[in-house]
Amino acid sequence: MTNKEINKAAEKAKPEQEEKHGKTGFVDNMVVPVLAVVTGLIIGGIVIAITNDTAVAAWGNFFQNPGAAFKASWDAVLTGYGALFSGSLGKPADMIAGIQNYFATGDSKLILKAFYPITESLVTATPYIFAGLAVALGFKGGLFNIGAEGQFYIGALASAYVGYSIVGLPWFVHLPLAILAGAVAGGIWGAIPGYLKAKTGAHEVVNTIMMNWIAFRLSDWLLSGPMKSSGFRPVTPNIEATAELPRFFPDPLRFNWGFPLALAVAALVYWFLFKTTLGFEIRAVGANPDAAKYSGISVVRNIVLVMTLSGALAGLAGAAQVLGTDHWVGQGFSAGYGFDSIALALLGKSNPIGVVLAALLFGVLRSGATSMQSLAGIPIHIISIIQGLVIIFVAAPVIIRGIYRIRIGSSDETVLTRGWGK
Amino acid sequence: MTTVLELRGITKSFPGVLANDDVNLTLEQGEIHALLGENGAGKTTLMNILYGLYKPDKGEILVQGKKVDVQDPNDAIAHGIGMVHQHFMLIPVMTVTENVMLGVEPTLNGIFLDKDKVAKHIREISEQYGLEVDPNAYIKDLPVGIQQRVEIIKVLYRQADILILDEPTAVLTPQEVEGLFKILQTLIDKGKSIIFITHKLKEVMAVADRITVLRVGRTVGTVSPKEVTLEKLASMMVGREVNLVVRKKLAQPKGPALEVKDLYVRDERKNMVVNGVSFDVRKGEVLGVAGVQGNGQTELVYALTGLLPAESGELILLGQPVRHTTPRAIIERGVAHIPEDRQKHGLQLSFPLYDNFILCNYYLPPFAKGISMQQSVIVSNGEKLIKQFDVRTPNVSMNASTLSGGNQQKVIIGREFSRPIELLIASQPTRGLDVGSIEYIHNRIIEKRDEGTAILLVSSELDEILALSDRIAVMYRGQIMDIVEASKASKEYLGLLMAGIKPAEAQKVTPKSAKTTEAERVF
Amino acid sequence: MKKLYTVLAVALLASMILAACGSPATPAPTEVPATTAPETAAPATVAPTETPKFKVGEVTDLGGVDDKSFNASGWAGMQKAMADLGVDGKYLESKQQSDYAKNIQQFVDEKTNLIVTVGFLLGVDTATAAKANPETKFAIVDYSYPDCFGTSVEGKDCGSATEIPNVLGLTFQTDQAAFLAGYAAAASTKTGKVGTFGGINIPPVTIFMKGFQAGVEYYNTQKKASVQVLGWDSAKADGLFTGNFDSTDDGRKFAESLMQEGADIIMPVAGPVGLGSAAVCKETGKCKIVGVDTDWTVSAAEYKDVILTSVMKNINVAVYNAIKAAQDGSFKGGVYLSTLANGGVGLATVNGASAELTAELDQVKADIISGKITIAP
Repeated sequence: MTNKEINKAAEKAKPEQEEKHGKTGFVDNMVVPVLAVVTGLIIGGIVIAITNDTAVAAWGNFFQNPGAAFKASWDAVLTGYGALFSGSLGKPADMIAGIQNYFATGDSKLILKAFYPITESLVTATPYIFAGLAVALGFKGGLFNIGAEGQFYIGALASAYVGYSIVGLPWFVHLPLAILAGAVAGGIWGAIPGYLKAKTGAHEVVNTIMMNWIAFRLSDWLLSGPMKSSGFRPVTPNIEATAELPRFFPDPLRFNWGFPLALAVAALVYWFLFKTTLGFEIRAVGANPDAAKYSGISVVRNIVLVMTLSGALAGLAGAAQVLGTDHWVGQGFSAGYGFDSIALALLGKSNPIGVVLAALLFGVLRSGATSMQSLAGIPIHIISIIQGLVIIFVAAPVIIRGIYRIRIGSSDETVLTRGWGK
Repeated sequence: MTTVLELRGITKSFPGVLANDDVNLTLEQGEIHALLGENGAGKTTLMNILYGLYKPDKGEILVQGKKVDVQDPNDAIAHGIGMVHQHFMLIPVMTVTENVMLGVEPTLNGIFLDKDKVAKHIREISEQYGLEVDPNAYIKDLPVGIQQRVEIIKVLYRQADILILDEPTAVLTPQEVEGLFKILQTLIDKGKSIIFITHKLKEVMAVADRITVLRVGRTVGTVSPKEVTLEKLASMMVGREVNLVVRKKLAQPKGPALEVKDLYVRDERKNMVVNGVSFDVRKGEVLGVAGVQGNGQTELVYALTGLLPAESGELILLGQPVRHTTPRAIIERGVAHIPEDRQKHGLQLSFPLYDNFILCNYYLPPFAKGISMQQSVIVSNGEKLIKQFDVRTPNVSMNASTLSGGNQQKVIIGREFSRPIELLIASQPTRGLDVGSIEYIHNRIIEKRDEGTAILLVSSELDEILALSDRIAVMYRGQIMDIVEASKASKEYLGLLMAGIKPAEAQKVTPKSAKTTEAERVF
Repeated sequence: MKKLYTVLAVALLASMILAACGSPATPAPTEVPATTAPETAAPATVAPTETPKFKVGEVTDLGGVDDKSFNASGWAGMQKAMADLGVDGKYLESKQQSDYAKNIQQFVDEKTNLIVTVGFLLGVDTATAAKANPETKFAIVDYSYPDCFGTSVEGKDCGSATEIPNVLGLTFQTDQAAFLAGYAAAASTKTGKVGTFGGINIPPVTIFMKGFQAGVEYYNTQKKASVQVLGWDSAKADGLFTGNFDSTDDGRKFAESLMQEGADIIMPVAGPVGLGSAAVCKETGKCKIVGVDTDWTVSAAEYKDVILTSVMKNINVAVYNAIKAAQDGSFKGGVYLSTLANGGVGLATVNGASAELTAELDQVKADIISGKITIAP
């Protein structure tokens, strides 16, 4: 055999492994999350069916009328998801009618009403995008930032403070300043556990959780005293109009510039992570800190950098929420965006594009939950169940592979974080 | 002799590739049967079929002459087939006894684990087969060689008669390899039969009764070590003539590239493991550091490359002292490092190859302009190096994890050799690689030497040290015992130094210099 | 390959199901299915044989509808209205402050006749929605308009500078009931010291504490006693506050420190935080608790042995009355003040009270109603 033949034979022996790998990447990054969502919705539907009184009653008479039992269950699910999706995406017929009416009469009332649901979903998705990016960036750098919730609050409070305390600035100074304040405050809140990890090895999971509690109690105190508005309510004053992220439509549509900003930041994070030397360093430290150190990258510096940027992104989530949607901060400011964003980053496979898609999904589910609760009488907690299921399926792709018989060799485990200790 | 195991016409294909193509193998009672082949030749696939981890597309397995159906490892164990994996399946925080009983826990009254019974059984096995081990020791406290014994005991405890050892010497020191061979001999003396998977020629010649060579999924042939030479085996395995002796000209050393003076280094557990080492490496020569692994070589290299801080001592690189020993500062002064653990330090396994080629200079032009990385330059650089260094991969975007060990090492060498370097520190550069890759890497290192680069070679394979070095330093317990001219070094003398015998004492036993023959330099 | 097709088929099927759910082809129900029939068949021009049900919706605050506190109490009133008055009621839970406006809007879109919002945090959003939808009636618990004073901006810092004709504020003169509790506590203490603490220093909380202190002081002047109140001082308008309404752990700590200072009767005005205090009393047996909002011998039955009495803020009654008024057409915007006189606030049974004390409390109550006793605001 000649050398050439050997090479050929060896190459023939290789592709198996490699092809496998290429496919695995696609399956893991695209197919599994999508199927996870679909499966989550299907199981959520089953939960709706078995908790629906009418359906349960019909099943009680299964032997007399089996058809009715199935129909009742089906109706329950259809009603629930119908309300969920019409409440979060709107109804195409209404949209068309609204547009026609607008061109016929110039009256924008119907059109706004038809697009209200979908804009609300985007409004809900906005902080999710920022906070999801925050956690995803941490994952890429090998750090588990559980502190996004605290950073979210601190960022929101800082933005609110700049938003209401400074009067008389033009919007093009005031608004960027308020946004920046949120990013910086969140960044500081993330940098502290990052610094502790880098210098002392204290695990970031513990420290970010502790920073959350400090943030919650600090905001309790700020809202009941130093940042309290003039009335008796423990909330901040409303921000000045010059600090608001402008809304696109009149009330009650709250859709604002926060959403395009979130998309822009997602693109920026993507560029930063994958196209710059700093991003290269972050990914190297996250994937294999030993090899990163070998190649001359300062692991310590990168840990601080990642936690700071992650905190800043979570702070931006708070800033976007207060400057775009709420305009004031109270104790019930967050419904757990920071915590949901962990799930979201997992679902999005820590990739900025994936995070945006996952955030849109969460936005749709959370936003549609209101009309599902009202029109179909299904508790909003069903959404948490669906979200939980989706995350389980994404975290344990074996389940999805099993259900849908995707038989491709198990991939390399994506290392999200390193273990305890250094 | 009776045949205990027979594999007939085993064929197994994965999408796009035939991993095993009509492979036949017979194992006689009481023999050590070596299964030899390069990485990717199909050895592991074959054994996984035998152990029930894969189902063959065609072919049958006969145990004691009877056709059996092996669905999973439990079936294999039931048929008396046991496997010692290359990567040990042991739980570090448990004792030997607990590890051995895992999965087959005997109980007292059906509730309490009967550890004493297992420990007693382990002692019996130890005695019977010469597998000394303390049943109450924790795995994490045991050296690798002993851990391997625990794996063997696990298999014996489950009453296996046929033992499959997958690359058992890959992680062992020369002494441990010797120990293992003794154990294997005892095992066959007691009636066990062994399949020994390896790609190391010298080992099969030393220990095997018969050798079956696999290449690209096919059986090349079964031979007896008595009737073949190393060269013959190597060419059967690789499919072409392999040069097992490194041909090199006499070194033309110039001034020192690296001077090390009285260096002390502590390891991560703060033990002093390098105790006052002094030596220099000259441009255009290979200084080999020999020694049994764990005598401070690893930490010496870490200190020289900035991965560990030195406790005290002086490093002079190209005439200038090195003070702030960060890895980057050292890299930027022209030092290349082939790390001992290529997967831990040498590569970003989850990154594409083109990124792995720029791990050390990603931030420099032309790969980066400011902070913006130049993707097209990086990719074409990767493509160029893949060709230049003969890395076998479908394309440059594959992740490093998809490559075989030899190709991974070529990526590291390609990366380190493609930038201007004055000093190469190569630590265990061929560990775990097949003959073809070893030959390639050796030739590249000598090429670099002849270009005038200073080379510090650290290896626990004495043969490799002898084959490549111009001078040899022997390290023992953090100190250099002696430095000798390689051309005159006697292997016996070096061996005594490696075992900790003082030079003066060693010279009483064997002369310091004896011209080694070429045959002894076969790696 | 075959497997891939299976996967694709399943995914396609699933997406079709979802698409079907979202598409206009499936009429999205506007009501719970069981009651759709009469509604859809009733065009406005034909005199309906059955009038559509009066629709009421409650938007809760963050605690949710089963918070065992004011959200639950409001829902209880609505449930009674559903049973007695035949109205159609539902609730929407708020998870965060941005849900307030969204939930109100949802009810508005469903043409709900009366929307009940619970809690002062909904003050601004309720006013904004009420002004935008004058034909919808609103009732808000614990709040009233006008609420804009000084420099605050209408629709931002506060809801409205004027009364809103379609909003009824449901407010509670809890100090009257707390006054009775203070009197009862003073009469029952053995150490001569009673204690209280609150969640946050805001009027809906401190009104309890003020009334409590006033009740103790009234007892002191009547009986020439010198029972002390720890944890609140009306003169300084300050006292002990946990800073939150959720940490039962804080409830324990605050109760323990009050006990150390000698108090043997404690009134925690911080929602579920008080349950922590009740637990301490149950464990040590050294203190009694004055419950707030609801009768704790019922709502926190596991602690009923250590409950002296409860200051009841009958949100359910107020909500029920508001619904009734809205349905029979007597609804008018403004403020509905719940007092001892109209039964909107009250004191639960004082456990272990002597006949004498019960009689005295009856007398005090009568005096408050008649205006003979006045409580400084």
